[in-house]
Amino acid sequence: MSILANKNTRVLVQGITGTQASFHSKKSLDYGTKIVAGTTLHKNLDKHIGIPVYSSVADAVKEHEIDASIMFVPAPMVKNAMKEAIEAELKLVVTIANGVPVHDMLEIKSMLKGSKTMMIGPNTPGLITPEEARLGIFPENIHQKGCIGVISRSSTLTYEAVLETNRTGLGQSTVIGLGDDMIVGTDYRGIIKRFMEDTETKALVLIGKTDSLYEQTAAEYYSGLKNKKPIIAFIAGEAMPFSHIMGYAGDIITRGRITVQDKKKMLQNVGMTVVDNITQIHEVLNELDLVP
Amino acid sequence: MNIHEYQAKKILAQNGISVPNGKIAYTPSEAKRVALELTSRGPWVLKAQIQSGARENGHFISHEAGHKGGIRLVTQISNITYEANQMLNNVLVTEQTGPKGKLVSKIYIETFAKTLRTFYAGIVIDSAISSITLLISKEVNKDIINLSTSDYTKILRVNLFPQENISAIQTERVADFLDLDKTYHAPLAEFLNKMLSTFINLDAKMIEINPVGVTKEKEFIALDAKISIDDNALYRHKDIARLKDDYEEDEKVLKAKKYDFQYNEFDGNVGCIVNGDGLALEAMDMLKNYGYSTACTLNVKGGVDKDKIATGIKIIMTNPRVEGILINILGGFLRCNLVADGILAATQEIGLTMPMIVRLEGTNKNEAKNILKDSGLAITFAESTEEAIKTLAAKLEANN
Repeated sequence: MSILANKNTRVLVQGITGTQASFHSKKSLDYGTKIVAGTTLHKNLDKHIGIPVYSSVADAVKEHEIDASIMFVPAPMVKNAMKEAIEAELKLVVTIANGVPVHDMLEIKSMLKGSKTMMIGPNTPGLITPEEARLGIFPENIHQKGCIGVISRSSTLTYEAVLETNRTGLGQSTVIGLGDDMIVGTDYRGIIKRFMEDTETKALVLIGKTDSLYEQTAAEYYSGLKNKKPIIAFIAGEAMPFSHIMGYAGDIITRGRITVQDKKKMLQNVGMTVVDNITQIHEVLNELDLVP
Repeated sequence: MNIHEYQAKKILAQNGISVPNGKIAYTPSEAKRVALELTSRGPWVLKAQIQSGARENGHFISHEAGHKGGIRLVTQISNITYEANQMLNNVLVTEQTGPKGKLVSKIYIETFAKTLRTFYAGIVIDSAISSITLLISKEVNKDIINLSTSDYTKILRVNLFPQENISAIQTERVADFLDLDKTYHAPLAEFLNKMLSTFINLDAKMIEINPVGVTKEKEFIALDAKISIDDNALYRHKDIARLKDDYEEDEKVLKAKKYDFQYNEFDGNVGCIVNGDGLALEAMDMLKNYGYSTACTLNVKGGVDKDKIATGIKIIMTNPRVEGILINILGGFLRCNLVADGILAATQEIGLTMPMIVRLEGTNKNEAKNILKDSGLAITFAESTEEAIKTLAAKLEANN
């Protein structure tokens, strides 16, 4: 088992003809991902890299059963592409684009409310279920199938977390990058919930960072859970001077100043194991004596 | 992206918000001329145009500039040239500029607006609830971030909706908080709605009017203005993108930006080249754990090639604080041998006089390792971030 995507998930690639999209779609196909269709703005194109293409999500769902989308459209087009995916009631959209305007995200968030769609990203390496499905741009060679769920708010530190689980031999059930941006489609809560329900996942690794308040809501959510699986958490940015994270002034003014130490304490207080150094993750995992 | 006060006020005026009449001047004689164009009788307000708050309480480094701050009230036209001469081409230091201060190359001259009272109004984005939030306070001319953390109750927070006007109930809450009676409700609502529509139209991340002045005629006037616009949305605001003032930015930051890199300076002595925000944070944290701190981080982002890495190294090496270099680059599609080539190209051009530790994760890792080993340069290859930082710390220790 795994969460959100496996080898049977039927995937659409939005914006499939782009350079990055073509490159990564081919990699994902080779990985075993069941890509069934693509969309493109190019007219008069029937197929691209062997995949049937359509001019809209609505047209694609008429011809194919689609569960999820990997969205490769550039940042300025994400809002409209999300609208299409939500209207077509796709269950999952993984949005790779970096640089989506924050006002567009506000609109997307209100479109998502009450919809059937879960959005991962933007500005994320995506989602990977080792040996089954790759929805994104993850390097496929570092992942090992296993029982640790990985959720991260930092693209590059996701790799570090994956390498840590590899060191224990426990591998990953599913790896998810939530996205590095100020506002993301789905925060930790939605993902923690699914990992808790997944029988294969035995423990979680959670990577957070200095800005935003998503770690706080994760702590609140975890504390309210009845059946908890262990979570090992690392929050990056303790050494970052406060004056350098002013980009998030809005959060500070409206919610108060929350430091990395505060976040660590919050997570610790609800029963997560918080490590000071990302390379301690494998040690804590080893101590759990998990049987994959 | 931040813009200057005079630019922000022009935008507010275009959106129907009242601002005092004002004009920009680059020389003392121009200052006098525009002051007279604005009004034949003062007083006038002379305002240094640097992107910083707390200008009034700031001080100029040079004695020639006198002991007054960056905002000056002038009542006699004969004094305009004198005051403008003191302010122009001198460096103003405020609590927000840091000790280096910022050079004042232009001043904004305004007619003095008579107001009965003032208050703070701001609009920001609250990411926790993906909402636009209006902030109101009676405290003016204070740093709102400090105020919000020191006395939370002094700020009223109202969540706004992009597609809707401020409601009657919300207006009443704001008016009550400011002790404004019912007769102010209509002009207050109009003012706040114009602020909100400006915020939306501009793709702003923050608008602060600090202070807002309230006149005898119940008019709301923006006496100061600060606008910060989402860089990611500048493509749809070409006219605003042009307002960017490069003088406000550090030379190395600008150079880095040309290559789409992100460069940050701190007060330590290790320079870090990474390809992601998370890796920069990780390096800073781990250096701290080993008793060292960061001089600068250069995020080369995403894909890395030979030229990118060579340019990055040159930017880092020109920072005089740097005594050791950490290169930590991760990515499945990264061709490590190209990074190694870039390191060699840069070090052959400008030399290598300090310890450099390299950690690469990707394809052709062993090839990269051999390239660096065969170069004969004092470059160490590490297998993990921790090993890299441990090694670097040991080398810095040995050098001291």
